[in-house]
Amino acid sequence: MTKQLLVVENLEAGYGEMQVLWGISLSVAERGISAVLGPNGAGKTTLLRAVAGIIRPWSGRITFSGEDVTLSPPHVKVGKGLVLVPEGRHLFPELSVEENLLLGAYTKLGRYNLEESLDLVYSVFPRLKERREQRAGTLSGGEQQMLAIGRALMARPTLLMLDEPSQGLAPKIAIEILDILQRLRGEWGLSILLVEQNIVKSLEIADYAYVIEQGRVVLEGEPEELSKKGDLIKAYLGI
Amino acid sequence: MEVGQIFATILYGTLIGVIYGVATVGLNVIFGVLRIVNVGHGAFIMVGAYTTLVLYGSLGVPPPITIAASILLGAVLGLITYYLVIKHLVDAPELATLIATFAIGILLQETVKAIYGSDTRGFSWNLGFAEVLNVNIVYSRLAAALLGLLLLIALYALIYRTKLGLAMRAVVQDKEGAMVVGINVDRIYALSYTLGIMITVASGSVLAIYLQSGIHPYMGEIYTLKGFVIAVMGGLGSIIGAFVAGVLFGLFENASYLILSQIEGIQPLVLTRSIAFLLLLTILLLKPTGLFRR
Repeated sequence: MTKQLLVVENLEAGYGEMQVLWGISLSVAERGISAVLGPNGAGKTTLLRAVAGIIRPWSGRITFSGEDVTLSPPHVKVGKGLVLVPEGRHLFPELSVEENLLLGAYTKLGRYNLEESLDLVYSVFPRLKERREQRAGTLSGGEQQMLAIGRALMARPTLLMLDEPSQGLAPKIAIEILDILQRLRGEWGLSILLVEQNIVKSLEIADYAYVIEQGRVVLEGEPEELSKKGDLIKAYLGI
Repeated sequence: MEVGQIFATILYGTLIGVIYGVATVGLNVIFGVLRIVNVGHGAFIMVGAYTTLVLYGSLGVPPPITIAASILLGAVLGLITYYLVIKHLVDAPELATLIATFAIGILLQETVKAIYGSDTRGFSWNLGFAEVLNVNIVYSRLAAALLGLLLLIALYALIYRTKLGLAMRAVVQDKEGAMVVGINVDRIYALSYTLGIMITVASGSVLAIYLQSGIHPYMGEIYTLKGFVIAVMGGLGSIIGAFVAGVLFGLFENASYLILSQIEGIQPLVLTRSIAFLLLLTILLLKPTGLFRR
């Protein structure tokens, strides 16, 4: 069996009094892509926010590279290479594209590899290089998503978590971005935890997938298996 | 009205305006980063004024040097109040931070009153003056405004030219974005709040050097109010905005005094104060995001 980079066990979390995650367990293999699918409100975003440390897990365990990071604050996790591309991108709109990227390299690991990372990000996303003086807030949706991913890469992640990277994008650009993710896994040796609406394309690039509903994993398996249970997925995802 | 009066109005309006700018930016930094309105703002200005009064008046330390003491004292007070109070309220409802900062202000006022009494005090640091168009240009006031300008430039450089400043601006623009790039947001909160208090206490020293009188435990209250007017004018969270708005406010205040003093049978000084709040209401109605925001 391949080595697991991220292992989440029985994770429970929520906001205030409202519990959203009811004991989720999942894992991402080294150099693997795991996809998390589920309807709106299933808890996908909450799951990624809890794993990234933006919200505090209520119970359960998160192990990253064999180390317990359940309660580590987000900046510590980024420093270890566990990096989130959040839903809605959360760029710094009044800073330039390049300043956004430089902030992406805020951690020690990022700073150490700064020049090299910048070249690599510009080679993956040549569009960002063309627009590097431009304010991030003035970019198109697709360019903003590229910048959000580029900024995350500047931190030199070993595991990249992406929350609906194709949301709000034209289908063609969405597919382009998912293709880039697959390329990054190959070229950078990245592991990826992907939350996506684009089910067909996600199952195409993932090597393991989870379907979650109401804060629980209701179905999991390799994409081929899951595709065979197409009716089941449709039932869960309401499509 | 003679030319001299107009010249004096513009000169002193600008000088006190620069000091208003310094006395406001602390409010802006704290609100910009932590989204907390420091209602006790003026009390920190008062503490700075007392620092200069005591160090110069009793010990003879040159007033410009007392600013350094105020900066240090501000750092201590900032760190203590942050870790004791503010840290626990950052995510609490606004009312909690309003009451807490109000209470910190009262605590500072009463502590100073307990030590130095409630008498209005002053000191004299005379550098001489020049006479232009029948107007005395008082050098100590010029010096106060210049020192204030230096503080503003230092703060500007820190926020726009250093890595800490970049991290602060990142938190202002998108807190969650700052978290996901690995910025320790709690630490930036502590540093920004402390920085805001440091510049505010320092501005109290500058103000004392300018006024050299009217120093008492409750002197800060009017500057809390003026600070709000200026901060709203300049757009809460903007440093350059606070500076420009401070100068405009100083000019506006002095000009209204000049005009009101032409009318017989009224008290121009009292009315000038109420005009500041008329200005605040007007801005809030017409351009609530500040005069200089896009």
